[in-house]
Amino acid sequence: MAGRGTNGRHGSRGHAGRTAALARLLHKECIQLLELYRNSESLPSSPVDGGYLVSIPPLVPQLSDAEKISILHAALKECLRLLEDVITREDAEFSDEDSEYKRKWKTVRDRLGHLLASTEQLLVEGQKFEAKVKEELDGQAVSGSFRLKMWIVRVLQDLVHWTGQTSDTLRSLPAEVEKAPKTMSRRTRRGAEKIRK
Amino acid sequence: MQGWVTLALLLSLGVGCSLGQNGVGELPVPRGLTLNPDLPAQTLSLTWQSDSSLFDLEIFHTELMNVVLNETVAVKTDPVTGLHSWTWHSPLPLECTSHSAHIRARNQQSVSQWSPLQTIPGWDIPEKSESNMFPQDKVVPVGSNMTFCCIVKEKEDFKEIMYGRQEMSATRLSRRTYAITATNQPVSGNTGTNVICCSQRLTLTGAVVFVGYPPGDEGLVCETRDLASAECSWKKGRDTGLRMRRSRTKYTLNGRDCLEANERKRWWCSSKAWEQSWTLVARNPLGTVHLMDSAQLTDRVHLLAPVNVTAVEVKAWSATLQWSWSVAAYKKLEMVCQLQLFAHELNSTRNYSGPGLSSVVLESLWPDVDYTVTLYCGSKHGFWKWGDKSAPYRIHTKMDRPDALDVWMWMDSSNTGCVFWKPLSVRKSHGALVGYEVSQSSAEEDGWTPVSLPPGNFSYPIILNNGSDITVAVAARNPAGLSQPSTVTTPAYRADSQLSMSELLSTNGSFVLSWQPNANASSGYAVEWVPTGCSGLCPVDWKKVPESDSSFTLNSDSLVAGVRYTVSVYALSTGAPTLLQRWQGYSQEMTPSQSVRELLPNQSGSDVLLSWKATAMENQRGFIRGYTIYLANAAHLELIANISDPEVQSYRVKGLSLSSYKFVVKAYTSAGEDAGATVAIKMEMDTADMLFVGILVPLGIMFCCLILISICCYKKREWVKKAFYPEIPGPKVPGDWSSPQGPLDVKPSPHSLVHIVESPEWDFTKEGLFPVPEEEEESENDNIEVDADSDEPALLRYYNQVVGDGSHGNQVSDSSGSSNTSVDSTQTEITYAGIQSPTSSQGACGGGGYRPQMQSVIGPAEPQIEFEADFQDDGLHAGYKPQCSWQLDSPEAENFSGSLGSPTSVTSSQFLIPESSEEKPQPSNTWFHNFLSGKS
Repeated sequence: MAGRGTNGRHGSRGHAGRTAALARLLHKECIQLLELYRNSESLPSSPVDGGYLVSIPPLVPQLSDAEKISILHAALKECLRLLEDVITREDAEFSDEDSEYKRKWKTVRDRLGHLLASTEQLLVEGQKFEAKVKEELDGQAVSGSFRLKMWIVRVLQDLVHWTGQTSDTLRSLPAEVEKAPKTMSRRTRRGAEKIRK
Repeated sequence: MQGWVTLALLLSLGVGCSLGQNGVGELPVPRGLTLNPDLPAQTLSLTWQSDSSLFDLEIFHTELMNVVLNETVAVKTDPVTGLHSWTWHSPLPLECTSHSAHIRARNQQSVSQWSPLQTIPGWDIPEKSESNMFPQDKVVPVGSNMTFCCIVKEKEDFKEIMYGRQEMSATRLSRRTYAITATNQPVSGNTGTNVICCSQRLTLTGAVVFVGYPPGDEGLVCETRDLASAECSWKKGRDTGLRMRRSRTKYTLNGRDCLEANERKRWWCSSKAWEQSWTLVARNPLGTVHLMDSAQLTDRVHLLAPVNVTAVEVKAWSATLQWSWSVAAYKKLEMVCQLQLFAHELNSTRNYSGPGLSSVVLESLWPDVDYTVTLYCGSKHGFWKWGDKSAPYRIHTKMDRPDALDVWMWMDSSNTGCVFWKPLSVRKSHGALVGYEVSQSSAEEDGWTPVSLPPGNFSYPIILNNGSDITVAVAARNPAGLSQPSTVTTPAYRADSQLSMSELLSTNGSFVLSWQPNANASSGYAVEWVPTGCSGLCPVDWKKVPESDSSFTLNSDSLVAGVRYTVSVYALSTGAPTLLQRWQGYSQEMTPSQSVRELLPNQSGSDVLLSWKATAMENQRGFIRGYTIYLANAAHLELIANISDPEVQSYRVKGLSLSSYKFVVKAYTSAGEDAGATVAIKMEMDTADMLFVGILVPLGIMFCCLILISICCYKKREWVKKAFYPEIPGPKVPGDWSSPQGPLDVKPSPHSLVHIVESPEWDFTKEGLFPVPEEEEESENDNIEVDADSDEPALLRYYNQVVGDGSHGNQVSDSSGSSNTSVDSTQTEITYAGIQSPTSSQGACGGGGYRPQMQSVIGPAEPQIEFEADFQDDGLHAGYKPQCSWQLDSPEAENFSGSLGSPTSVTSSQFLIPESSEEKPQPSNTWFHNFLSGKS
């Protein structure tokens, strides 16, 4: 977390910097939301069994920054889908009374949409990565309210994880990536990266 | 496998033996036992075939073979199916672990063999390796007990089960199953109560339980708003605590879903048509409530609010109000309407009735008043309740001319007075006043002389030029016009001193007045009250009383406590008011606010005359009933007089001795004393007395004392002489002076040294004797000075001057000094002049100055030798040593030997004077000595 602190140079990096700051802010809010939910439901802080719901190809060093962002963008997109699904299910199952926790849900959802729109401008045209969701709520063996609650925790855990990953990646993004045109070929960009190194 | 077969064989043999011992074999074993679990209901149904009707049942947790039921039940055969059936409710969800059951028939003490075990598998079998918890999403009432089980997934450890935030004590049911029991469960939160099963590192699984109450709705009431449809409402009652959508209370009204209530918007249902009876069913998973109501439509009319309320005609004293109805059916309804008028201190409620009422005339309004009108109506026949209130509507009535003023005239002298009038209240002014008009007329002048005054004035001064009566008319003006004038004629002035006024006593702070009816009081009476002694702008107040009354109570709220009022009653007629009676009184007496004035003391011999003046009337605050006089001591006041006549304003305090006194004079009313005025006086003597007492008396006393002392001394002169001047025997020197003697310690008698000198037996040969102060005593009693003037002579020792020590040399000198003092003080007129130089001292011994001892005493050598020998023999303090020895403390010591025994060794020069000298000094105390001796 310390590595995701405020960095002044982001402010001078234009869109990528703003996107990194947005990711960092969203990451913090996701942590707060997870904490808020655990407190309101008296849930233990130990992780829920099952690991992360969203899976992506490994972010190996050979991948370019733009490719990493594309992959993370796909993961965040799945997170948003899961988040909206969770909100709908929770409203349907439980009380729709307003609360701080509910307001935070909606803030995180909106900000995640903004982050997706913002990172989309950093993507390379023509490249498409897809993230997978390992489990779906409807496919689980035991139904019940507790399952929904655990599912919510897992979605929040995923949100914390993938927004953190995105924030770290955007933070380490070189300034040239933003300057490079969207049509720049992958090879050219890699060449430029090598020159920098 | 072979082992299992052998074990089964042995078991069957054993069972067979035991059964045989119990008469087994006679009853057939029940057949076809089947187990049918109802998992949500946590029940297990057992069915079997048998001819018996009494059975023993046993149910186990299969894995650990814990018996959870061992019961004997009587079950009859179902005539339809021919089967026996029995249901067991398990406290534990049946999924938690596998359950097994078997059964045997019983006939009193005879039992059959057990049927084969039948088992229903739980979720803890190896085939189901995941973690699970049961039951899930149960809805239970508050206070119930419930058992939860956690099935830990394969290869995972178990840590704890939490019920909400509470860690529970878990019981192991099987290899993977643990259970807890929550007792007396409290109501859940919004999303239920979580029961969570955890391993050391993970949240494994969990369940949610919803604990709440059955519906508590009550009080169904249906009514109509439009004379056609129905609206039914009820009270929600206790919160069920169940927030989950599927657990919320569902409502139906006469079998139809109540959408409004089910959406949790309002606790009411509507129906398009009126029905005679209504049934509301409220249902949630924990219970159902049925609410009933039945009524005729006309008995349940609840009118809507009137709309478009307007005032079509507004006057000073009335207004016409109109409105309309939003429901056309109301126009034929016989209704009653209530109209609320709100204004400052003018609130009222008025009722109107009529079919389809839509207009009323509001009478008895007050001019120039802002009213707020609210209107609501109800059905007149079968009145149910008032309908909704209309929106408030504001009406402001018009102005009207003011009412006539209440006028009075007060004369403060024979030719000056003032006309007063009381301000008009809102109800009487009928609009904001713009001023007053005062007109006056007299018999000499024709017509009226009008004067306009601003609205803040409530009085007008009157001056009578020639003593004739004046009639004054006063009228109030507002924008609507002028009021009727009120007239008053100057009453005849009657000073208080001209009347015999009676004291008016108050009753609970009020004055109860009554007077003799007067035939001239055609217009009634006027009671006037004003602070006594007031002049100028006085707070004159009055009240007019009808002619039929001859009494009046002047209430305390128009009087000030501690103020003396003059109350007058006038008879009113067409002419000038006539004074009937006058009183003075206090509504409430208080202690005087100031003490008496000019309190003065006047001494007359041993008496003191205290005089004072009463305090001013405004400070009296009550009728002065008298005065009290106190003598002020250090800590308290001592009452010395109580003067009950307030006219007496002096008091004589008699028989006072010479001292200082403080007197306190207090005036008192019926309420008590004032703080008191204090005066102090110091009693002094007359001049003649002072002379007598101060001078002559002490002189006389002293003279008498002297005479007495003289007489006494004369009569006892022998005793006095013996006591104070005893005869001192002359010194006798027997024997040989050459032999050393002890120190001659002569303690002088308590008489003067002069005696010693004068003694005729004094031998000049003993010239070595001289007085030496007793050094030891002196040193030991430094603070005791030798007082030469004392009657007790100093203790002196006479030594022969043989001491050769340096200190003794000093002693000689010191003793000389002492002796000098002693001699001087005893007035022996011994003089040293010409004998010892003023500079002579011990220090001079070494000098070459005058040394009389050295020059005049040059004795033969023999005595010197003898003394030296004595000195050597006897040492330094060998006792009395006459002046045959001398201290040798100088280089000329050897020469001093010649002076030993010389008279010059005596410091006093008197020893140097021959006894035969004619100039023998005459002791100064001779006359006294003679007196004591009886010589003339």
